Formats: sequence, structure tokens, C-alpha cells
Amino acid sequence: MDLTRVRQDFPFFQKKPDQKTGAYFDNACQTLRPRQVIEAVTRYYQESSACSGRSMHHLAAEVTRQYDQARATLARFLGAAKKEEIVFTRNTTEGINLVAHALDWNAGDVVLLTDKEHNSNLIPWQMLARRAGVELRVVPSRPDNTFDMDAYSRLLDRKVRLVSFGFTSNLDGVTLPAAEIIKKAHQVGALVLLDAAQTAPHQRIHVRALDVDFLALSGHKMLGPSGTGVLYGKYALLEKLQPFQVGGDTVASSTYTTCEFLPPPEKFEAGLQDYAGIIGLGVAAQYLMNLGFDAIQKQEWLLNRALTSQLLEIPGLHLIGPSDPALRGGIVSFFIEGIDSHRIALMLDQMAGVMVRSGQHCVHSWFHARQIAGCVRASMYFYNTLDEVSLLVDSLKKIRKVL
Amino acid sequence: MLCIVSFIVLSILGIFSASNRQLAREALDCVLRRVTLRPCNTGFDEKIKAKILGVVITRSEAGARFLNRHFELLSWVAFFLLLGSSVMAVRGVYLFYVTGSCNGLNNSAFCVFDPTGQNNQVSTLGQTCSLSDNPERGVTLKNVDLSDWPVLNAGASNQIVMVGCYACDYTRKVYPSIRALVQKYRPEFRFGEYQVKEQTDLLTRVGYCVYHADPEKYWAMNDVLFTTEKANLDDPSYVHQLLASLGLDANQIETCASDPQTQTRVEKLLNEIRRTNFPGTPTIFINGVPMVGPKPYRVYAIQLEGLFYWMK
Repeated sequence: MDLTRVRQDFPFFQKKPDQKTGAYFDNACQTLRPRQVIEAVTRYYQESSACSGRSMHHLAAEVTRQYDQARATLARFLGAAKKEEIVFTRNTTEGINLVAHALDWNAGDVVLLTDKEHNSNLIPWQMLARRAGVELRVVPSRPDNTFDMDAYSRLLDRKVRLVSFGFTSNLDGVTLPAAEIIKKAHQVGALVLLDAAQTAPHQRIHVRALDVDFLALSGHKMLGPSGTGVLYGKYALLEKLQPFQVGGDTVASSTYTTCEFLPPPEKFEAGLQDYAGIIGLGVAAQYLMNLGFDAIQKQEWLLNRALTSQLLEIPGLHLIGPSDPALRGGIVSFFIEGIDSHRIALMLDQMAGVMVRSGQHCVHSWFHARQIAGCVRASMYFYNTLDEVSLLVDSLKKIRKVL
Repeated sequence: MLCIVSFIVLSILGIFSASNRQLAREALDCVLRRVTLRPCNTGFDEKIKAKILGVVITRSEAGARFLNRHFELLSWVAFFLLLGSSVMAVRGVYLFYVTGSCNGLNNSAFCVFDPTGQNNQVSTLGQTCSLSDNPERGVTLKNVDLSDWPVLNAGASNQIVMVGCYACDYTRKVYPSIRALVQKYRPEFRFGEYQVKEQTDLLTRVGYCVYHADPEKYWAMNDVLFTTEKANLDDPSYVHQLLASLGLDANQIETCASDPQTQTRVEKLLNEIRRTNFPGTPTIFINGVPMVGPKPYRVYAIQLEGLFYWMK
């Protein structure tokens, strides 16, 4: 990967001389956006800000074409069988909520989760448990925070209706062995929903090869506009799901007392969509495919190896997750004994413009169970450099010396 | 203590910046918790500490280490410094309101509300127009015989004594305020004319004669002389016309003004003015307190009627 050329695509890196150099290591929260995505969004508003699918004029036809193109691009991006399996959402959270509301649940159904789910893949199921009498089961991780297949197998039985796992953890970057998980789930008749918010930006996902039933992702974590996301679902399953939010654009016709829903994906896309964002999301997916996930992963591993090895030199620093950086993608989470993680993050930003995330990263349950106050998370992406890694480490070493 | 200091500082900075306004709100929440003896659990103090340390560490690791170790103590020090400077600032505002200078009456040290020191400027006998820090030192009405000075409202309980000159800018600036004050509160008002800019005392002599001819017309003449173009003051024909327009016998006044006896009495009057040790014009005594330079109206009014003069 030609890093210099790639970084030229990102306006963020075009610093003025008086601006801090800094480093952006909060990519697990949101990535930076390339010029191509920004231009696509801007172009929509400047040249074709009309409705898709509703109006007959040429501007609407152009938006419809771009909207469909974005759906097709996302289908290719995920290896879906057809573009109708792509439902546009606002984000991963909405995709998960859609499944939680749209499946017809029975009291006693079981939803299986891991012990380090993001709140987005925990709270919807807690609400479902209260609402429909569904039982939640939590698969504990191994001591090194990797997936415990044996524990999973023990908890898996015919009562399990849905396995809803974070494909890649936003806490430690560990990616689950999804193919095997899905295979086992299907053997007991369970469906599988993968929260791929942290996977889609970093790894090639092929939903048909995985045979996953549902998969949700967010645009803002993969170079796309914020407020965009995708729920992939096998078409046959999407057809069976009840609509989640309903209204304009979800029905073919209605009387005062009845309505006839459109087929998927339209029946799940209620109201006017974020056309600009979705078109931008299509461009972002295409950008990643052009770049190639092999190159992306190679760069992330390079960075993670460098960061991990240097961090381990700092006394009192504890990594969260497996020590092998190859298992943690672009994420390095850590805490330093006796130093509040927020203080570290604020100081890194103040002293060197290094932007990291601190706290419990919406995985409160994991931290509470282990009585850990919080951690610092440096999440890297392909556009980060070894110099930026060094800046982070040098700054951390100074902080360690002082505090 | 940090949150109290931060709240005050950020509240001021918040006037200019929205981000500081948000921090000020957080600081306020923290302050409210501290004053009700609850711990500040908003993370605000931690945030500010980290931000400060983040700046210091880039300049000196040892300094950052020291700051980190003694942060609470240094917060207290900052609190007391802030408290002290706040008291001084409030004092400065009060003094400016009451005396026209942040540093006290007639003090010409720098004052942010009067950066050019206008309120302490005088026209002096020398060439400079600035004052020493304590120009009122030695300025007094003690042992000064005021009996020959033109007087208005004689015998009133309050007294204003003004030393000024018709041609001096600062006297001309302040004269309308003094006249307004006299009109409103009716104190005893004595005026001594002292030409610091001009070498002649013609107008002083003319004034002396007018006052003795018709005191009311003397004050009317003063009102005109302080508002007319300065160039007119050097023009005898203008003075002649003015006297005539006031209904006075101009020739008689001019004869009186050139009378050696008048000269002697005026010289006596000028000597009495000099005995006040006034540093320049205007110098105004309100109930014996010397006020040097053209102060705002309120300063004289406060001296005369107290802090709440505007209620009277």
C-alpha cells in the first residue's frame, strides 16, 4: 500500500503548518473520511438532491440509480446473493434492533451473547427478554478474552433461537471464528446475527461463505458518512420478518384499515432515506474494495505489532485481550495501574494531539464483571503510520514517568 | 479548590468562547457539589488537571511531576491568588466608580477603565500635562482666604471650590459637570480663575470687576467663556461685546479692569489660589477634598451627596 498516496485522499491529513501533527487513533469509534466519500455526499446535495423511487422526473431517476448502485455495491462488499438482501439502516444498533423487534419470538426462546458485547448488542436483547420472556445466555470468554468454543457449545441447545455475537470486539479487537460458530448454531436450528461494526472496516466478509443469517454494520466505522448502516439478511428470512418501523415507502398500497407491504428491503426502509449518506456509503465500500483487505490487514498488523511491543516496555501497563497482536486487528486496549484512563487520554490529546478513546467503550458489563474502571483504546486503521505509533508510545512513556 | 478557581476563570473566558462556557457549566456543577460537601464526581477536576498537566509536560517533565504531586496545594494557592486578585479587581472597579481612578482619588497610575488617564489630566504651570502619582499631596484649602473668591449659594452646607482657567482644555471639559452639580444640589460654589496657559490675567481682572458689578452676570459670563472658541479669549473686542451682550457697561468694566487697585486685589486673589498648592487646572475641592483633573460627574456627585446621589 502506498501510504503517502492513500493519506492524500484524506483531507484530515492535509494539515496547515500551524496545526498540531497529532495522530488519530479512535478509528473504532469513527474513521476519517476520504475525499471521494465527502465529494459524493456533497455532489448529491449540489447536483441531485431529490427523492429516490417516488418521483418520475429525471433528477429522481438519477438519485434512484445512485441509490440502487450503492445497494449493489454493498451487496458485493458483503458477498450477498442479491442486492435486495441489503437493508439500509442508520447504524449497526438499528440493524440489531430491527431483528430484535421483527422476529416472532416465543417465551422461552434463548438468545446467546458473548460476555463482551457492545451495549448495542446487549440492551436490545435485555429489552426483548423483559418484553417477550426470552432468556439471555452469556458465553464467557477464555481468560485471554478469546472465544471459548467449548463454553459456547455447552450453552447451545435447541432452545437457542438466535446467536447474536459481536463479530469483532470493539473492546480488544478479537475476531470470533464465525464460520464454526454459525455452523454449530445452524446444527441446533438457531439463527445467527453478527454485529460486524468492527469487522467490516478491516476484513473481507463473505456472508454466503459464512452462511450467516443476519449481519449488521455501520457506515461511520468504514469511511462512510455517519448515520448510515446496513442490515444484511438472507432474503428468505427478511421476507418472514415483521416490519420494524413502518410508514411511507414501506407499502405498495393501503386502505383506511389495511396495507400491503412491499417486499424486502423496502418494507424495512420507512420514510425518506439518507440518500446522500447511502450514496457516500457505497463509495466508501468501493474505496475499501479497491484498496484491498489484504493490504489493509497487513498495515494494521504492522502497526499493532509495533505498538504492542513498545507498550509492553511501559511498567504497570496491562493489555486487554490476547497478547498476540495478530489476534487483535487494529485495536490495542490497555490500562496503567493507578492512572485513570480518561486522564491518560486527555493528556495524550493535550500534549501531542494523539486522539484515543478512554473509559468502558460501551462494554460496561465486561468492565463491571471484572471490576476494572476503564481502559485506553488505541484503534488503528490503514492510514495510520509507524511515526504516529511512536508519537503515542513516547507520549505515554512521558505520562508514566510523571504520574 | 480547583473547580472554584476554574469556574471563575472559565466563566470569564466563557464570555468569548462556547467551549469554555461548557467547561464553566461543568465547573459550576462541581462547585455546587463541593459547597454541599459532596464529592465532585463529574470528572471535571480530573479533566482540568489532565489538560494542565498535558500542557506542562511538553515543557518540563519535572515541572509536570511537581504539579501532579502538589496539585491540591497549588490549587489552594491559585484559589487564594484568585481571591486576592478578585478583591483587588472589585476594589479597582469601586474606586473607579467613586474616584474616577482604579487606584484611588487623584492617582494617575494605569487604570484599565481610563487607559489614557483622562480623569487625572491637568493643565499645569509648566509644559507637561501629566501628574505625579500623588498630585493632591499638600493641596489644601487650609489657611486659604476664600472671602474674595466669587461665590454662589453662599452659606450652603456643602461646598465646591474650583480653580480653573478659561483657556484650559481640562477645565473646559469639566466645567459643565460642575455647573450641573451646582444647579442640582445648590452647594456653596466658589470659583478662582487662574490662567495657567496665558501670561495675562486680563480675564481674571475683568471677571473680578464683573463679579463686583453684578454677581449673577459674572456666572453668566463664565458660562459663555467656558464654551466659546478659545481664540475668542485672546480677543479684547470679543470680551467687550460679551460684556455688552450681558447688559453690562463694557467701558466701565474695562476701566475697572485696568485700575491698579483691581490689579492689586486680583493679585491677592491669585496668591490665595497659589496657597492651595494646586498642581494645575482644574483642581476642585468638594467639602475640602481636593480632586485634581476632570473627573466624571458621578465622582463629584458622590463626594458631594454620597454613593447613592442618584436617588436624591
